[in-house]
Amino acid sequence: MARGDSNSMNAHPTPELGQAGCKLVGQSVPRTEDLALLTGTARFIDDVRLPGMLYAKILRSTSAHARIRVNVSKVAGMPGVHGVMTGPDLVGKVKPWGDLMQDLLVGDHFPFAIDKVTFEGQEVAAVVADTKYQALDALEAIVVEYDELPVLVDPEAAIAPGAPLIQEGINYEFGEGNIFDRYRVRIGDIAAAEASADLVVRQRFSSNRQAGAALDPHGCVASYDSFSGMLTVYSSTQSIFMVRDCIADALQLPRNRVRVVAPAVGAGFGSKVQMFAHEVIASIFSMRLGRPVHLVLGRAEIFKCGTARNGQIRHAELFLKKDGRIIGYRDYVIQNSGASSYWGNQVVHIGTNVGLLPYPIPNLHIDGDIVHTNTAPGGALRGFGIPQIIWAKEQLIDMAANALGLDPLQVRHVNTIKRHECPVRTPIGQVVDSTSIDECLQRAADAIGWADKRAHRIPYEGVGLAISMKYTSCRHPSFDTDLSAVRLRLETDGTVTIFSSDVPHGQGHATFLAQIVSDVLGVGFEKITLAPADTANSPFGLGTYASRAAAVLGTACRTAAERLREKIVAIAAHVLEADPRDLETGSDRVYVRGLSDSGLYLENLAGFSAYRTHQLPEGFEPTLEAVATYDTPTEREGPDGSGNFSVTYAGAAHAAHVRVDPTTGRVTILDYVMAHDTGVVINPLIVEGQHQGGFLMGIGMAMGEEYVYDAQGRMLNASFAEYQAPSAADLPELTKLYEIPAPSQTIPGGQKGAGESGTGPVPAVLGNAIADATGVRFTQLPMTADRILIALREKERSKLKVFRYPDDMPDYTGPRDHTAWPKPTGGEGNLFV
Amino acid sequence: MTPFTYQRPAELAEAVRLLAAGAATTKLLAGGQSLLLALKERTLRPTCVLSLASLGELTGLRTAADGCLDIGATTTYAALTRSTFSGWHAEIAAVAGNLADRSVRSLATIGGGVCQADPRFDMPTLLTAAGARMRLVSASGERSLAAEEFFDPNGGTRMMASEILTRIWIAAIPALDGLAFEKFRFRAFEAAVVSVACALKLGSDGRIASARIVVGAVAKAPLKAVATAATLVGLRPADLRVEEVGARVAAEVAPLRAGQTLRQCYQSELAICLTARALARAAAQARKH
Repeated sequence: MARGDSNSMNAHPTPELGQAGCKLVGQSVPRTEDLALLTGTARFIDDVRLPGMLYAKILRSTSAHARIRVNVSKVAGMPGVHGVMTGPDLVGKVKPWGDLMQDLLVGDHFPFAIDKVTFEGQEVAAVVADTKYQALDALEAIVVEYDELPVLVDPEAAIAPGAPLIQEGINYEFGEGNIFDRYRVRIGDIAAAEASADLVVRQRFSSNRQAGAALDPHGCVASYDSFSGMLTVYSSTQSIFMVRDCIADALQLPRNRVRVVAPAVGAGFGSKVQMFAHEVIASIFSMRLGRPVHLVLGRAEIFKCGTARNGQIRHAELFLKKDGRIIGYRDYVIQNSGASSYWGNQVVHIGTNVGLLPYPIPNLHIDGDIVHTNTAPGGALRGFGIPQIIWAKEQLIDMAANALGLDPLQVRHVNTIKRHECPVRTPIGQVVDSTSIDECLQRAADAIGWADKRAHRIPYEGVGLAISMKYTSCRHPSFDTDLSAVRLRLETDGTVTIFSSDVPHGQGHATFLAQIVSDVLGVGFEKITLAPADTANSPFGLGTYASRAAAVLGTACRTAAERLREKIVAIAAHVLEADPRDLETGSDRVYVRGLSDSGLYLENLAGFSAYRTHQLPEGFEPTLEAVATYDTPTEREGPDGSGNFSVTYAGAAHAAHVRVDPTTGRVTILDYVMAHDTGVVINPLIVEGQHQGGFLMGIGMAMGEEYVYDAQGRMLNASFAEYQAPSAADLPELTKLYEIPAPSQTIPGGQKGAGESGTGPVPAVLGNAIADATGVRFTQLPMTADRILIALREKERSKLKVFRYPDDMPDYTGPRDHTAWPKPTGGEGNLFV
Repeated sequence: MTPFTYQRPAELAEAVRLLAAGAATTKLLAGGQSLLLALKERTLRPTCVLSLASLGELTGLRTAADGCLDIGATTTYAALTRSTFSGWHAEIAAVAGNLADRSVRSLATIGGGVCQADPRFDMPTLLTAAGARMRLVSASGERSLAAEEFFDPNGGTRMMASEILTRIWIAAIPALDGLAFEKFRFRAFEAAVVSVACALKLGSDGRIASARIVVGAVAKAPLKAVATAATLVGLRPADLRVEEVGARVAAEVAPLRAGQTLRQCYQSELAICLTARALARAAAQARKH
């Protein structure tokens, strides 16, 4: 779907739906979700209204690290108040939960702080009242005494000897103190690689904490029915079964008495892929009062507690031969995961492993310390660790190319996996079934005018490249599964309902799943509906994250549709007295091949199998439902960090042409190219939307967003007014998006994930382009206009030809070269104690 | 929610009387683009909110007989953008149309912005350079203040709690020969990191007779680069070396100092290029006369 012009409608012709022989998979079918979204009729969590509903609000810590005492005595008589709760009330009544690391529960999560807070924004108390304003008034009557403890904002300070302990009383399997997990990769022989390398490039890179910034806030409505003993929780979440099972476990309820329903969910990006305290708090209030309780978070709360991308410090080294071949990579990662464990550590494990692609590096020596600080918890976020390592690795590539006098395009080309080499197992163990990444690289370079721009330099203009690959779903690190499931039901009037528990939140499930079902069953597209995700009737599945929907859910859906088709054809064969092998489906009918104007309407066939079961063949099971699952054939991480975590890998090659204004530091993106391998694309319109969204998140990470904390761990920019997420008006128009498919050889339909591919390369592309334009090499994110301008001024004063920001600033206090780098805390001993 | 009384008097005299009665805990409501946010966030808890919406004396945009522009305090930025101005008065409409975002501009008023006096706002900088005057009315009578006296160097304004800003007066066209405003912000729609406004008046010999260069957002109130502006007197607009002037303006009002934050260093740098741009435009306008 190359686009040479900016008119997107011309590039996505609307197919004629329902025509026999017209396959919908591969077509840009307009999304069925959009009408409700554009007319404001979609119901999000804040729109949920139940009879008798009350409103709860949470009081959150204003200190980042303190012992606390909470006095709620003034709340009871206040207008409209029905209840108040604090941590000590729940000790022994609610089971702690938390990250599962290698099957062991960390258990550092509880609905409230009990006697100590570990981050600003941690839950301290909650009130439920008739209206949310009465609840807010009651919060103001709660008195919290804070005995301040020393605050750790910086992860390096948190692992220094003598640093105060943040999470007390928890024994970690692989860590101690404020290090709650360690990571280690040992592949090949790094010492030999270092000895035989012609060039080693080394640089410390740091990356920023970034918010999910889903416009739909985190929140829930919990409704306990005391007559049936059923707790129903409506939640803005990405995974209904995870929430159900965690709430049931925390509250010690049977899982068949807990129901979780997803309303329309307005994005998550990974920030809604865990259970949160507010879901437990609302549930407890509802169970006490027997009334529905609405608890939706405000934006400042979400910034402070809603999980964000983990910032990392990487001490990265690339070992190369003089022809540009990479022979080794060494790295020491310190990740700032915030105050508690929420997928923080897996970002290092999975992100580092997959972020090494597309280079099959033979010798690897990587250590990671995954650290708690008194800041907002870090979790899953679009890219899941890949953008952070690509930021380092793809800039090292350019630095190496410059040092060797080679073209950075050539260095990437020499190292990347080629299409004809696939399937290939890399030294760290990834099995890449197919890829077009090298062709994507060439296309991106051509489309940006790489050779020409480098040959005819214009002051303060530059070009940059970066490539990355992204896993399409992943073996769940805490369990041992990567499961999605679909149930299809042919209703008695020939319409079809799709049931799935993978919550759609922008990926267009209702559209692309219907495309698959329509093609397989021959049912008209408009006759197919996706039911809302609801644990009461959806089959068990893991949720929507990790770019898994099209490949994993899509495969489950296709299989279910094929099973249903078999049943339909068997009935039709009986009714039409034909051989099933002579039958086709299409245009809402089953008909004998060659006689497309005859046959049996699915509407009649469905009625037959419901109301005339006595006329069905002997032994035929009437129900026109089919369930199918798909669980990807992947591996878990080995002790040496090796493994193939994903069934297939998408590819992304980006190129940027930028101009830097030397009077203001402002960067203008003059041109931007994205060439992707998304395998077989089910719906090009949806995939393009995902790439655009991935790019936007990458731009925010690269050019503006970060969590700004003061020395006391208070966030200074916890609002959209201050937090520098780009708006539509700030972004370049994307006119050069290309798909170069290398269909997956493992996913039956050939599709690969798209949700996160667009984010990985962006910060590195822009870092490389800005370095090319100005000679300033950023080693820190974000690259804001003020930093760029100050770096330019300092570069002029210092007369350095290549100036690193912030490393070469006179007031920089960090290590300026690798001789001053810290050592990993884990040593070489056995990680498993 | 802290309960408050909401009042919407129909006459200025009544508004003034109500304000006098409860000035300490009364907040005036114009467009509400600052006040309503503060009420929602509970950072302000007035006992009385006094709406100016029905006061005809605060509305309207007129040109007086002597050519002065007489702007009602509750004139929205959107209304200013839609109005036709001649000469350097047009810069007021240009600035009004390029701040915040469209929905804010439809409700926010020039008087409200000026009374809020957030140093990042555009109008305080522009009106100080233009030499605007603010008309204030209270139970004890009325007075007017020049913009540079109106803004308190320690932040906020020198209005008494019992005063209402009713009109903003801009001098007639002949008073100046050029007025230009420039700013820098990181993202569309947000507040300025630095703003600069330059005003030039030429003598009959075509040389600069007086100049005002005002820099906003580097201090708690707009700062006038008095010394640098004085050095422009006697020069011809075409002979101005605008970058060099910019460097001197920055050194005068936002000098680089040890121990400054990155943001302060950046503001100092921005003051240079924004002054250069504003001065170049003001000079170009002046040369056309």
